[in-house]
Amino acid sequence: MQFSKNWLNDFIDIDLSTEDICAQLTMAGLEVDGFENINSKITGKDSIIKLDITPNRGDCFSVLGVARELAVINNLKLRLPEISSVEYSFKDNVQVKVCPEGPSYYGRTLKNLSLDSKTDPLIAERLRLSDQKLIDPVVDITNYILLELGQPLHAFDRDKLKGNISVRTAKNKEKIVLLDDQILELDSSCLVIADDNGAVAFAGIMGGKESAVSTSTKSIFLESAYFKPSAIRGKARRFGFQTDASLRFERGVDYKIQELALERASMLLRKTLGGEFSSVTSSSLKKYFPKHQPIKLDLERSNKILGTNISKKSAIQYLEGLGFSPDASKKEIITAVSPSWRYDINIEADLVEELARLEGYDSLPLKSLVPVYKKAKTDNANHLTQELVSKGFNEIISYSFIGEQDHLLFGQGVKTLEVENPISQNMTIMRTNLLSGLVNTFIYNLNHGQESQKLFEVGNIFNIDNAKKVKEKKVLAGLMSGNVSQSTWKSKPNDISFYDLKGVVQDLLSKAEGSYSYVECDVDFLHPGMSSYIKHKNKVIGLLGSLHPAHIDTLGLKKDVFIFSIELMHLNFDSSNTYRQFSKYPSTSRDLAFIVDKSVNAGDLERIIKSSAGKSLKEIEIFDVYEGQGIDDDKKSLALSITWQSLKTTLKDSDIDNAVTKIVNSVKNELDGELRV
Amino acid sequence: MNLDALKQTISNLSSLSKSQFEKATNQSALDDLYRSFLGKKGEVNLLLKSLGSIEPEKRKEAGKLLNVLKSNIEADYLKTTSTLTTIANQEKLSRDKIDISLPGFESKKGSIHPVTRTIQDICSFFERMGFDIEAGPEAEIDYYNFEALNVPEDHPAKDMHDTFYLNNSGLLRTHTSPVQIRTMEKSEAPHRIICPGKVYRKDSDLTHTPMFHQIEGLVVEEDASFSQLKGLLNDFLEDFFGEQVELRFRPSYFPFTEPSAEADIRWNKNWLEVLGCGMVHPNVLQGVGVDTNKYSGFAFGLGVERMAMLKYDIPDLRAFFENDIRFLDQF
Repeated sequence: MQFSKNWLNDFIDIDLSTEDICAQLTMAGLEVDGFENINSKITGKDSIIKLDITPNRGDCFSVLGVARELAVINNLKLRLPEISSVEYSFKDNVQVKVCPEGPSYYGRTLKNLSLDSKTDPLIAERLRLSDQKLIDPVVDITNYILLELGQPLHAFDRDKLKGNISVRTAKNKEKIVLLDDQILELDSSCLVIADDNGAVAFAGIMGGKESAVSTSTKSIFLESAYFKPSAIRGKARRFGFQTDASLRFERGVDYKIQELALERASMLLRKTLGGEFSSVTSSSLKKYFPKHQPIKLDLERSNKILGTNISKKSAIQYLEGLGFSPDASKKEIITAVSPSWRYDINIEADLVEELARLEGYDSLPLKSLVPVYKKAKTDNANHLTQELVSKGFNEIISYSFIGEQDHLLFGQGVKTLEVENPISQNMTIMRTNLLSGLVNTFIYNLNHGQESQKLFEVGNIFNIDNAKKVKEKKVLAGLMSGNVSQSTWKSKPNDISFYDLKGVVQDLLSKAEGSYSYVECDVDFLHPGMSSYIKHKNKVIGLLGSLHPAHIDTLGLKKDVFIFSIELMHLNFDSSNTYRQFSKYPSTSRDLAFIVDKSVNAGDLERIIKSSAGKSLKEIEIFDVYEGQGIDDDKKSLALSITWQSLKTTLKDSDIDNAVTKIVNSVKNELDGELRV
Repeated sequence: MNLDALKQTISNLSSLSKSQFEKATNQSALDDLYRSFLGKKGEVNLLLKSLGSIEPEKRKEAGKLLNVLKSNIEADYLKTTSTLTTIANQEKLSRDKIDISLPGFESKKGSIHPVTRTIQDICSFFERMGFDIEAGPEAEIDYYNFEALNVPEDHPAKDMHDTFYLNNSGLLRTHTSPVQIRTMEKSEAPHRIICPGKVYRKDSDLTHTPMFHQIEGLVVEEDASFSQLKGLLNDFLEDFFGEQVELRFRPSYFPFTEPSAEADIRWNKNWLEVLGCGMVHPNVLQGVGVDTNKYSGFAFGLGVERMAMLKYDIPDLRAFFENDIRFLDQF
């Protein structure tokens, strides 16, 4: 909503600078978007004020509404614009019928208008300053009333209306062609203005094409009606549009202003276009008018909530100014009734806001909140973020919605959650993992000269099950490619390998409760020989590996790209901050090397040793993997250092010898492995 | 051997060892010499073995003399060792001199995304005030995103949120406020919660991205007041920016708060909107079964990117989601 500042002078005698007016409006809750100083040939120095009206303040979608606020703030008298009833020269024989959703309707016929007249220059200027296009004197004047009083009017071509007029709900699938040529198919939730032949206007939203005023129009039927917000809300939006009228009706128009608006319009029309005016035809169903119930305001409680000390006298003065007709006969309770133009005041809290608004939010006192001390929870994501940053990873944040193509590369055959009204075709699918964001960021930075990258992201992933129930999980995923470390003047670093990746994942999980195992996996987008699931309590909670060579090709990449992904809800770091006892007794180590088939995994060997090495086993460390000279072609040697330590005693050599014998036997039995001597 | 001959031999050995030790140029040559005098088969041991040939009454004196010789050689050896070590160290020092102006071997630093960092900063203040961090789903349903927050179907307030709808008839949350409702549903008042997270609005231009981050705060307590809300936000902004900022509250409208306010801070002379807040609307509290005669509440919500832009002087919103490493490395 924008308007000329000088227009306010029609309603109030205000002697403030535009800056001051804007500051007052902003602090009263009518946010000023900006203003612009101009020079008017008619009124001299002027400003255009632009307001950003919140949806609760439909009453301020007019100059009258804004002036009313300023009048209360500055304690000024508000006067309504000049209205003198136009004398009618004939009686209109049209009958009007209203309904509960549109309970009030005023109309009159105007004929013999000089349609070639020009819009009054002041009206034309004010419309222009309100960014309203000038069309013809009739439309211009209806638009002027809309801006001045907030009452939308509509002019029909009188000769195209057949019979009587009714405000009624639309029939199912009732069609109407609107002024802007839209063809709509309505239903019974929509309200229309109809004549004997059918709908002639989409009530409160837009007139119909057929009954529109045109160059051949001889006489006009002017409508000033009241439709309930609930009957207009969402109706135009459903068809993807909004009008100045629907904007006002759905927020609430003053239900007592229709007759006044019609008279004011008539007066202006007569001035410009001359012509003959009929008597006013009207119909009202008062019992369907908005019911503004008395609201009780407990001033003591209000003051407590606001932390203020507003006196009863000030409260009454504020409410009176705003049109609430307060009744202060009871001691601490003020009873107030909303004026016909306010739809946002229904409960006590609403009145409390009115008091606070006029008292000035800035003058309300400040009081610090007293802290409550409690134990903070460990946040998995924060913990892991720190860990990765210390390893040289950059955290990224990418959009949760991705395109079909990206989804096809990394999606894993799950049902996707999709955006019905995406902002672009690249943002249709809610990601089912974090990989495409990481890979796209990697490629973006590669194209900007970053060969070596370590990236990670923490974010939610989505899919739906057969019952369309959403599964949303928080995941941590990372990507590594390029060199292990930075190259220096002394040495060229190695390329990142699978084991660098696995090392990162192991480090991340090292302080999480429970144990994690790595098993070979079969995932489309990973290298089948260089990928692994991460398992915890027999459940897959993540994966890691090298991107499949075919994907590397598709993405136009040259170097290997390694990725990992872990579902965070399975990790628990709570116990990592508690003391655990360590042994005071010496540890004993033995180095053993086994010759096993090449197909045997180190992980299998470790598992067997773990289960046969006894209770005092402390750790197993693989220190060499050897294939080649001295060993059969189909075999390899795995050398391990095994350490034992007890919390209670110094271990005897004989205990260790027994353990070693057990290990050697188990490895022989289960893996056909031989101790290398 | 008689005692005099022994004395002569001892005297010779003493000067011989001294002169030979002085000629040794390295530790291992010195050690060889040491062994030739004091080793198992060394000269001194040979003399000890020959003690038997000395007349018994003079053996004691001869023994003493030999011990003196032994400790003299020992002392000379230690002295020479120390000299040799000093020389060796000096040689090592001059040999090992390097060009200390060459660069050291740095490791690549990682970085926390400025949005995450800002969330951590903000949450840490509220955690110290006793707020619990809560999270909720990003794929929401109309009930939590609108209805329970006092935004009925078709309400014009929905125009304030350009909502993304989903193929499961749900929607992407347009604000973090649904977490308020979910938290109040699952636990009893009083509440102090802070809820950071991603939100989505169908909007994309220079100053809007279709996904961004919000932090929602909620306090429901006996006697929660608008003054406390003002005080808390004032304290928070001072903590966040590390200095007192000029703060202004003005009336606004959110369906889920009444009274509602928008808070602006003075930034480079202009007022800049940074957060929305208000007393929780009684309909919202009653909807989740909070006794509004006993409890009142206030809530606030702020945009994380906006706060990060102010704090780190970032000029372009879109930089947050471009993830250019040259940008990320700055944090």
